[in-house]
Amino acid sequence: MPTLSRPLRYAALAGWFALLAVTPFIADNYTVRVAITVAMYSALALSWNFIGGFAGYPSFSTAAFFGLGCYVGALSQRHGVPLVLAWLLATLFVTAFAAALGTIILRLKGHYFAIGSIAIVEVVRLVISSWGSLTGGGDGLNVPLLSGGPDRVASTVLYVMLGIMLLAFIATLLVDRSRLGFGLRCINQNEDAADMVGIDTTRYKILGYALSALFCGTVGAVYASWVGYIDPTDSFSILLTVKVPVMVLLGGAGTVFGPIVGAGLFVLLEEFFWANFLEWNRAILGGIIVFLIFFLPSGILKLDYRRLFRRKSPADRVEAA
Amino acid sequence: MFKPSTKTAVTTAAAIAFVAAAALPHAAFAADVLRIGAPLALTGGLADEGKKQEAVWQLWLDKLNAAGGVKVGDKTMKVEIIKYDYQTDGKRAGQLAEKLITDDKVDFLTAPFGSGHTKIIAAVTERYQVPLLACVASSESVYDQSFKYLFGTLAPNSGMTDAMAALYKEKLPTLKKVAIYGRDDVFPKSMATSMATSAKAAGIEVVYNELYAVGTMDHSAAISAIKSTGADWIYMTGYTQDLILGRKQLNDLGVKAPIVTMVTGPAYREFTDGLGDLADGVTSSTWWHHATAYTGAAGVWPSTEAFYKDFTAAFKSDPDYVHASCAAAADVLVNAVQKAGGTDKAKVRDALEATDMLTFYGPIKFGPNHMNLGRDMPIIQVQGKDIKVLYPASIANAEMKLIK
Amino acid sequence: MDLLQILVNGIVLGALYACIAVGFSLVWGVLNVINMLHGSFIILGGYLTFFAWFHLGVDPILALPAVALLLYALGYALQYLFINKVVTSPVLTTLTLTFGLDMILYNLMTVYFTATPRRVTLDMGSADILGVVMPMDRVLGMGLAFFLTGLLYLVMRGSTIGRAIVAVRMDRQAAALMGIRVNNIYAITFGIGALMAGAAGAVFAMVFPVTTNLTGTFLGKAFVICVIGGLGSVPGALVGGIALGVIESFAGFLIGPQHAITLGFVLMLVLLVVKPTGLIGVKGYE
Repeated sequence: MPTLSRPLRYAALAGWFALLAVTPFIADNYTVRVAITVAMYSALALSWNFIGGFAGYPSFSTAAFFGLGCYVGALSQRHGVPLVLAWLLATLFVTAFAAALGTIILRLKGHYFAIGSIAIVEVVRLVISSWGSLTGGGDGLNVPLLSGGPDRVASTVLYVMLGIMLLAFIATLLVDRSRLGFGLRCINQNEDAADMVGIDTTRYKILGYALSALFCGTVGAVYASWVGYIDPTDSFSILLTVKVPVMVLLGGAGTVFGPIVGAGLFVLLEEFFWANFLEWNRAILGGIIVFLIFFLPSGILKLDYRRLFRRKSPADRVEAA
Repeated sequence: MFKPSTKTAVTTAAAIAFVAAAALPHAAFAADVLRIGAPLALTGGLADEGKKQEAVWQLWLDKLNAAGGVKVGDKTMKVEIIKYDYQTDGKRAGQLAEKLITDDKVDFLTAPFGSGHTKIIAAVTERYQVPLLACVASSESVYDQSFKYLFGTLAPNSGMTDAMAALYKEKLPTLKKVAIYGRDDVFPKSMATSMATSAKAAGIEVVYNELYAVGTMDHSAAISAIKSTGADWIYMTGYTQDLILGRKQLNDLGVKAPIVTMVTGPAYREFTDGLGDLADGVTSSTWWHHATAYTGAAGVWPSTEAFYKDFTAAFKSDPDYVHASCAAAADVLVNAVQKAGGTDKAKVRDALEATDMLTFYGPIKFGPNHMNLGRDMPIIQVQGKDIKVLYPASIANAEMKLIK
Repeated sequence: MDLLQILVNGIVLGALYACIAVGFSLVWGVLNVINMLHGSFIILGGYLTFFAWFHLGVDPILALPAVALLLYALGYALQYLFINKVVTSPVLTTLTLTFGLDMILYNLMTVYFTATPRRVTLDMGSADILGVVMPMDRVLGMGLAFFLTGLLYLVMRGSTIGRAIVAVRMDRQAAALMGIRVNNIYAITFGIGALMAGAAGAVFAMVFPVTTNLTGTFLGKAFVICVIGGLGSVPGALVGGIALGVIESFAGFLIGPQHAITLGFVLMLVLLVVKPTGLIGVKGYE
């Protein structure tokens, strides 16, 4: 089934990674910004993949984790915590938050879980927004600007984001090969059965959910330092929370490489349509989503290319199954 | 023979190359063109505001270029405005500012509607040391980071609230209690906070002072609470849809206050359109009104009247402060370029800081925080079908009426 | 007297909320689809009513059935052409699909109608009963909301289509074996969901300013109401709507408007975990 052999896939990934990493030397800062966006969404997509891809839980709480990361990072910095420590603090806080939340919300399944996870985004946004004395409320927060000129800042943020993306990828590889990955996949296929064969489903799900939040927290905090200003509406956007799962679906949910392929392609497509179709870009993105659901239901990596280029033969069908 | 794997790789590579090629800059550069970048919210929540900016800049640009361009030293420069839609999405706003600077190589930027998005863009322009003119951001919190390259043509909110409290106290000596109800969003919140301070200073008791969250659909609970306080002045801030609903519910729930102020409701035509007769008597403050009559102004339009004439001819409707402030911001930029004798960013920045000019919109001189220094900002009231100016006395064209 | 006023405010608002949620609840209950288009359907209904009134002088109450039918046709078509193809897929797929469709509809509306808030200005005054003020247009809205939900209830209970919908909801395969064309029933159900949204939009345009900026807010309310009241029943949506209306009203009065909506969402989360069937959860949709 795989269209590229494993070593080739790693090589392609390394190439892609290297291409993103050299943008500061070969292209202008706008391209670097696109590269940062790619790295950022790749990390978010890889994160979502733990709970949404491996375990098959339709989580829509990415924006809650991202936004909390923004705020914890920004607030710690404003209270004198050094930059990198603030990022780590945000990561820890968001992971702990997700783990605690997971013990409650992961009792829900299917549609109820989906709705619950979206509601989390709204609740966190509203709490942040009405807790004005701490968070500035609707006024938003200024975050200390990173020092250095634009080139320096752009490349710093890029390497940090790439680093997070790499860590998220390594975590994916480890989970994929570990008992945790196996357990999450079992849950995906049949949670009750998984429970019966002795998998501690509750613990696994919580682990998966916490993992799916961890890197979102870091990404949020780094993002806040990068843009220099955050507010509740932009930090907790429903669009973000749906976009990330779409990216993973585009690449192939539950696969190791899918989130990176999906995020990269999605960001580039978005960039292209948005630059060329000013008024209609939202509709076009919607169109892409609809197209994706119908024609690439299990993602690019699982697409059976032979069926596209050859006539169907029984052998192909067996292989595709 | 192609193996499927090669094919995938080739297709993917081709797709990426295609996209990358399309994203390449395709602008021609000429030294005698002044390029202004404008990230605008043309779709999404702030689309109406974004389109106002777009429209008035087009009007400004056509007028300017029809006259041949801008005289800078001994040469004449054409002006170009490069605009992009950031879809009312903060992340995009920052991205676009960077695209305009690095990709389109604009000389200067203008900020979109709203204090929040202005802040995001200011963080980028500050980094690149590109002058940024904000024409629709009035919250002082935008300007409190002592950014060197950010300038705003609106005056601080506090100037508006002090004058208003004083005026109402004078017109209605029995005025004792004000109820303040504001949207928890950058500008509406800061107006509400600022009014609470001004009212107290003017000896008016603040009997209700609450914010409502973004996403509030209904105001009956708050309005019932306001009713029980017996306030004789109601001061509400928010977006037009909030204010239309608020005004209607005040009436529906039988709140009888002689003064109802909605910021900045009556400054927009949509407000009076959406309310009909109920709009009558509502007051507001605004940064500019077309009843002001400045003459002998520098810039594209020599007087407020000339601007009003061109605008109504082009759009068949009255301009509001967004239009005026943004057109004036463009004038200020051009003026600074002329003073600096070119588009050198640092020199233009210094020229901006030293700006002291009169535009059709009013005098512009930037204070220590780079906001336009306060002048007398109009207080307006809906009277019948018209918007009348109550203050300042120099341009007032009606007496304030109390709501019965 | 204050508290009575707050209660009345809450009930009137709650009836409108019920009207928002009942179509959403039907679609979720029968099709097992979380319809992200629902908020845009409501706004579309509101805009169509507004334009009929503003440009053609059509009374909104007369426009309501026409708008509702138009929305029915749109809903039927969308379901038949798109959603039916993936209706048995996991929630991630169906939710994402309706989200994608919503982006298209939203974009169309902002381009052709703009985001300007619009309202049908009926302004029928208020009635004052023992010191409790009731705005007449809201009372009318409440009446319409009760009428529409009641009508839906009767249709689901009494008509062949209604029974077929309930049968499909209970057991899709058995229903198919009984000769029910399941895909058609799905499309009809989705159409009815859109119809109720359109009707709700028409009612809302008489009371609230409608703008595309509100699509997300409406959708959020529908989530909360469905969970509070319990999925898949007309009485559930009604109870959920009124409960939310009353809760928001009291919370806004007692603890301040800033926290009123937060409370609704928190309550929903608690109910989700403690009692996912909601206050009134029953098996069949009726």
